[in-house]
Amino acid sequence: MTKYNIWFFSSLFVASIVALPIITIFFSFFSETSNYFNVLKNTFLLDYVSNSFIILISVLSITFLLGVISAYFISFYEFPFCNFFSWALILAFAIPGYIFAFSIIAFFENYGTAYSILTNFFGEYNYNLHIPKLDGLTGSIIAISFSLFPYVYVLTRSSFFFQSNNYIEVGQNLGLTERETLFKIILPSARPAIIAGLALVAMECLSDFGTVSIFSVSTLTTGIYNSWLSFDDLNSANQISFILLIFVLTLLSIEIYSRKEAKYHQPGRGYKPINKIKLTGKKSLLAFSFCFLVFFISFIFPVSQMIYWTLKFPKYIQDINILKINLNTMYLVGLASFVLVFISLFINYGSRISKSKILNYLTNFSISGYAIPGVILAVAFITFFSNLSDLINDISSIGSTKKLFIGSIFGLILAYFIRFFSLSFNGIKSSYDKINSSIDESAYLLGYSKIKTFSKIHIPYLKNNIILIVVLISLEIIKELPITMILRPFNFETFATQAYVYASQDLLEAAALPSLFLISWATILIIFSSKYILSQKN
Amino acid sequence: MSNCFFEIKDGNFVASEKNKVNNVNLQIKEKGEIISLLGPSGVGKTTILRTIAGLQKLSSGEIFLKDKLISSNHTHTDPEKRNIALSFQDNSLFPNYKVIDNINFGRKRSNGNGFSYETEDIIKLLHIESILEKFPHQISGGEAQRVSLARSLMSKPDLLLLDEPFSYIDQNLKDEIQYSVKKLLKKINLTTIIVTHDSYEAFSLADRCGIILNQELKQYDVPYNVHHEPNSLEVAKFLNKGVFVNVKVNNNDCAVHSLQHEELGEIKGKLLKTYPAGKSVKLLLQPEDLIHDDQSKLQLEVVDRKFRGTNFIYTLKTKQGEHIPVFVHSHHIHQHEKAEKFGIKTPIYIDHLVCF
Repeated sequence: MTKYNIWFFSSLFVASIVALPIITIFFSFFSETSNYFNVLKNTFLLDYVSNSFIILISVLSITFLLGVISAYFISFYEFPFCNFFSWALILAFAIPGYIFAFSIIAFFENYGTAYSILTNFFGEYNYNLHIPKLDGLTGSIIAISFSLFPYVYVLTRSSFFFQSNNYIEVGQNLGLTERETLFKIILPSARPAIIAGLALVAMECLSDFGTVSIFSVSTLTTGIYNSWLSFDDLNSANQISFILLIFVLTLLSIEIYSRKEAKYHQPGRGYKPINKIKLTGKKSLLAFSFCFLVFFISFIFPVSQMIYWTLKFPKYIQDINILKINLNTMYLVGLASFVLVFISLFINYGSRISKSKILNYLTNFSISGYAIPGVILAVAFITFFSNLSDLINDISSIGSTKKLFIGSIFGLILAYFIRFFSLSFNGIKSSYDKINSSIDESAYLLGYSKIKTFSKIHIPYLKNNIILIVVLISLEIIKELPITMILRPFNFETFATQAYVYASQDLLEAAALPSLFLISWATILIIFSSKYILSQKN
Repeated sequence: MSNCFFEIKDGNFVASEKNKVNNVNLQIKEKGEIISLLGPSGVGKTTILRTIAGLQKLSSGEIFLKDKLISSNHTHTDPEKRNIALSFQDNSLFPNYKVIDNINFGRKRSNGNGFSYETEDIIKLLHIESILEKFPHQISGGEAQRVSLARSLMSKPDLLLLDEPFSYIDQNLKDEIQYSVKKLLKKINLTTIIVTHDSYEAFSLADRCGIILNQELKQYDVPYNVHHEPNSLEVAKFLNKGVFVNVKVNNNDCAVHSLQHEELGEIKGKLLKTYPAGKSVKLLLQPEDLIHDDQSKLQLEVVDRKFRGTNFIYTLKTKQGEHIPVFVHSHHIHQHEKAEKFGIKTPIYIDHLVCF
């Protein structure tokens, strides 16, 4: 029997908050829409869907190749700088797609960086004729691919890493060649991890708003944003959200299923680490070149472009109040991390000591927030609290409550909570699950109360993990664009919003400084957490 | 109220539909007794320990410790207030604390029983001096079990519960540790209940031994009686120390009873239960019951021979197809091969004739 105690009601409350966007979108689907949606259905909706799909399929193909090949080289072979590349490749996580987009535009545009480099080396000439011009779709595909491939790389690498050498030796013993071993043993057993990585890429790709917006490509996310901002039609925005959400939730199911499958490939007894093969000559050069090229394009290229712009246009250093943006970002990061970690600890502890199945279902439901694209979440958030405010207005004389939730720090933190509760809750849960319940029982039997067991045993054990969760939440919030963009208070800028605002005003050079700060903070956080990210066992 | 140091009255222990033990009555009359509970894996032994410790509720019945009711339908003293220590099978050391800190966690409640030993004594006794500065993940399963035991002992409980405490310890160290632990428990007069599936461990450590089979406490007695005088066919089969052969009861009236086996002839000894003359019964023959004699006229065919270090176990086949095990000292002057004849000393005399 379920006990209706504080743990139950807390979990129910959190699950309800996190479920707000999904419930709002679901009900909005049956609401009446303006003529705009009908016009949209007959005109651009097909473009939105087809562009989203073209980008999705292309990004999946490229991230698969980049992630799997680099993971294969680094896991199975020794070549110059392979240890450096093993963690350096994840630095691409520090570059959001929209900053990569600025870099591509700046490099390939007429009289852009490529033009300057060629002029410096080979003298004056109209190189613009020969520098390829990337259209919006191609640019978006490249930018999103290079910013998301680390998902595939990290999961595939860890799957390769935890494959026992025994399998490979058995393959060799049965007469398989190196190539046959790769295709018949290594890749099939890493398949669940690769699919999980690709599912994450697909979810992020469909959720992307910044990159496609910079390249002016119409996709489902920009469609949602425009319906809300340009046509002031929240119902249409929610109906497009509904279509997108179906895709994303399907991908989430694939990802969850694949991760479960991947668990069967965890090392057990008799696990033998892989003996790396030392490459020489052309093979060594090939492996090095591939990893270097991926690292260069994904990290060095955008970083150097931002540095180049910042130095070339120093006036923006004075124009932009970078200290205030730093403080704003830190304020959001600190507040959101505190709220998320505190509530995640509370719910995890409740779930642990009450051992209720219903509580488990509730908490599992609470983690669906991470799958919801930021743009959908923000628009659904506005829809819900606008309707709530109207309702309160109708039945009481309190007045509008919109300001409390929309365009306020409180609302922003609440939206971050919905989006990142899964990250925080699961991060703490994964560590909590490692504390066997008999450890709690041992403490009780040694005379410790529940509170003392929590403070003396649980908290010291979870301490490192909590720090890591704070780092990961910080990384996500620093890079987060659409939620912050839509729900922030007036004139409240973070690195991401400041960079985007300048870029959308065609002031790409001005976007460089906040982008550079964003990348620097993100890089520090990634280096801090790289050991954890790379040790993920699927 | 109970007049015993510890008592379970009509206890029903339920962890799940399969994992339960019903109607348990068990008394520990004197403080300092060591009790073992023996049974196959999954029979509910651990459930009993967890319920005694207060980690699970008693389904029905009563549990008393030192005259105080600690578990019943209406009463449930919290585990932290019972002064009962439980050393878990999976040792449950606190992963983020060093071994020495884990042991010192036990001191929290050391105001319970007035023992005179110190941490150093326990550490030395359990041979864990060299691992004190290590973390639990850096030590072996056997070492972890010893640390867990040390931590439980440090809490100086009224009742110590040990769940398979020596299962991961190497055989060569096991005997020594078992001997030292038993010596210590007796010295400090600490009442202990040990759960194990190893009958040698149960018999060697305990003053009394309970056999749990098919969701019931089948027998509760001193180890000698459990081994030699199992009170049911189930217990005898579980202990698996012999075979059952078909015999007829000859004589039931004298001080020495007599049974008749078709091929082994007359078997004398003391029947534990009385049977009418002429009744067919099954007699438990244990390997130590028959004595090898090369000169004997009673010769059986050898079908198997196993070397067990100190002895051989020969398996002999009767004409009825029964396979009878017989111990022979491994220094015996010669060995018998398969299909050879093997002499058994007659007349056969067995102290306890266990029949069903």
